[in-house]
Amino acid sequence: MSENKKQINEEDAESIDNSEILDDETIKLKEENFDLKDKWQRALADYQNLERRTQVEISQRVSNKTNNLLLNFINIYDDFIRAENSLSKEKIDTSGLIAVIKNMESLLAENNIKPIYAIGEIFDPQIHEAVSMVEDDSLDDGTITKEVSKGYISGKAILKPSKVIVSKKKN
Amino acid sequence: MAEKIIGIDLGTSNSAASVIQGGKPTLIPAAEGTTVAGKAFPSVVAFSKDGDLLVGEPARRQAVTNPDNTIREAKRKMGEDFLYKIQGKEYKPQQISAFILQKIKRDAEAFTGETISKAVITVPAYFNDNQRQATKDAGTIAGLEVVRIINEPTAASLAFGLDKAKEDMKILVFDFGGGTLDVTIMEMGGGVFEVMSTSGDTKLGGADMDQALIDFVVDEFRKKEGIDLSSDSTAITRIKEGAEKAKIELSTVMETDVNLPFIAQDSSGAKNLEVKITRAKLDDLVNPIVQRCKSSIDKSLEDAKLSTSDITKIVLIGGPTRMPIVKKFVSDSLGKEAESGVDPMEAVAFGAAVQAGIIAGDVTSDIVLLDVTPLTLGIETLGGVREPIIERNTTIPTSKDKTFTTAADSQTAVTINVVQGERPMVADNVSLGSFNLTEIPPAPRGVPQINVKFDIDANGILNVTAKDMGTGKDAKITIQSTTKMSDDEIKKMQEDAEGHAEEDKKKKETVDVKNEAESFIYTTEKLVNQDLKDKIPQEKGIQITDAIKELKDSLSQDTEQIKQKLEALKAIVNEVTTELYKNASPPPGEQQSGEQQSGEQQSGEQQSYANEQQSGSNEEKSDSNSEQKSENNSN
Repeated sequence: MSENKKQINEEDAESIDNSEILDDETIKLKEENFDLKDKWQRALADYQNLERRTQVEISQRVSNKTNNLLLNFINIYDDFIRAENSLSKEKIDTSGLIAVIKNMESLLAENNIKPIYAIGEIFDPQIHEAVSMVEDDSLDDGTITKEVSKGYISGKAILKPSKVIVSKKKN
Repeated sequence: MAEKIIGIDLGTSNSAASVIQGGKPTLIPAAEGTTVAGKAFPSVVAFSKDGDLLVGEPARRQAVTNPDNTIREAKRKMGEDFLYKIQGKEYKPQQISAFILQKIKRDAEAFTGETISKAVITVPAYFNDNQRQATKDAGTIAGLEVVRIINEPTAASLAFGLDKAKEDMKILVFDFGGGTLDVTIMEMGGGVFEVMSTSGDTKLGGADMDQALIDFVVDEFRKKEGIDLSSDSTAITRIKEGAEKAKIELSTVMETDVNLPFIAQDSSGAKNLEVKITRAKLDDLVNPIVQRCKSSIDKSLEDAKLSTSDITKIVLIGGPTRMPIVKKFVSDSLGKEAESGVDPMEAVAFGAAVQAGIIAGDVTSDIVLLDVTPLTLGIETLGGVREPIIERNTTIPTSKDKTFTTAADSQTAVTINVVQGERPMVADNVSLGSFNLTEIPPAPRGVPQINVKFDIDANGILNVTAKDMGTGKDAKITIQSTTKMSDDEIKKMQEDAEGHAEEDKKKKETVDVKNEAESFIYTTEKLVNQDLKDKIPQEKGIQITDAIKELKDSLSQDTEQIKQKLEALKAIVNEVTTELYKNASPPPGEQQSGEQQSGEQQSGEQQSYANEQQSGSNEEKSDSNSEQKSENNSN
């Protein structure tokens, strides 16, 4: 009887052992499964993020290239304006030149490039860059008195800040 | 995944930050966009008259209008018992640096889309404990836990991957910035960097070089026109921009112009500034400044008790080191070329990000290493041409498919021959195995659609499935080892492909032309004998038949012959089809106004028709397998 009991107990112990092993294995597998699922989801997320970032990078690169090209173009456009100013001072007919300038301006407008207004405005470091100051009591502090280099914005971004001279009161 | 840690180059004149993305350091762009300093931004902090805080570009832009409330180079005061007094408030240098770090934190969060709370910050090698602690405090004030402070030269060396070298090294880091020069010699062994000596000049930098060039341009104009531009702010602004552009250009070209029309005006009219600058001239102008760096190099060697021959590696940092004369000066002084491959403006920030990545676990071996297919996998198509399906260096696991069609009328079977290699002709590659897809319902060539799918699992096992899209019937093969070759064999095959590129191109061209000719013959015969049988005038019909015969005869001759006969046949066919369209009545409601105009339209249409035919024949070129083979199969 006791022999039988012992045997049963041993069997119980064995089945407990087995189920413990199984439990351990299940836990191990569950952990592994969780780990793998986690890694897979992260890989998927990484990929989706990469795709998104690549898209952003591509459009940024394109707009950087375009903006650089337009900046170089703007330098030439500014030269044309200087030419027109200079020639009209000498009473030379500049109507043809003005037409060319207008075409250039429409090209800039088509590309959403707008000049920054400076003269008479109050200096704003987000869009203007001060190169020097002049004393002038007749103007409000920080009024732009001269534009030494024209600035441009493309959409919301500053392509080139206006470089300006700003007034300050004597006292 | 661990939380992202950013790397920060908190510089005297400019600051930049970087973060590891996809295993590589990427510069974090400043929110206000690219500036004169590239993606970096000026280390300037200001308080506007209304008490608004400005950091970076906007702060620099307003500096002249508000000098009392603008702070530059706060880094030089770090760790000192110094107080900035602004608008009645007192700020420690670390509080000013914190404003810069806060901006970086914001930019980094906008860029990564994650909350950033940890950073690695770089400091000059000569910073003492106080200065390092102050830098750490600045981080804390900005809401960043500074997980490590590392030396700028160490960061630059990390960016160049010098920590991975197996042998011990002595590295000289030449950091030439906008306003300062720092020379550091370090000893590296087993990935550990130890500073041996530092020296430098706090009043020497790229700004001096720019000024030398501006002075030269102003001087040249004065000599030529007798006008002094130095007090004309508009002119000086333009000259500054022009000189900067010329300086950059002269790093790659030998000569450039500063061309500024209408720069001034006097009684005789407008004056244009045109100054030619050669690289030799620029070198001449900046040479005295460059030579001033010599004493710092000598001193650092002396302090480290080393001679020039003891230096194993040279690392250059800072914008001015992009100039050929600076590079040459350093390599001549030390008898060795500097490391290359990383932008000297970005190296420190990149290195800080690498260190951050190591701490965060982004740059350790924990990342799953995915294999790539070493050679292109494809199938054999008409004329023994290999059609690639999975290009070499594709990361696996992956799967790709392409749709093919039959090459002959009533073809009922195709053989899929899986090949591996870089050469365009099947015979020059290795066949991995082949199988047949049978019971394709009889149909004219080009009609059946057979989708061939290649699927490689992470272990490199390739499954190829061919499926008849019409019936849904499929057949497949599993290839256990796609490589089957040693690394040496793979390398040999890749080299072979490069070596035979020209000859292979010709071979493939011959087959392509032949395939195109055969396909065009087929289409034309069908057109003449069936589709347009009653519409083609007899004499034209004979012309076409003759041209077809000539083309068929030329198929055994060289490519040029085939091309010639093919063009001749195309010309006749075009002529006939144009004639047919001309005679066709216009659709109702459409009026032919100008005769010339409508003629032009027609020729335009005809062109696209010819193109269509051509693209049709191209498609057939990639037909799955030659008719010969499938016939052999059925035998």
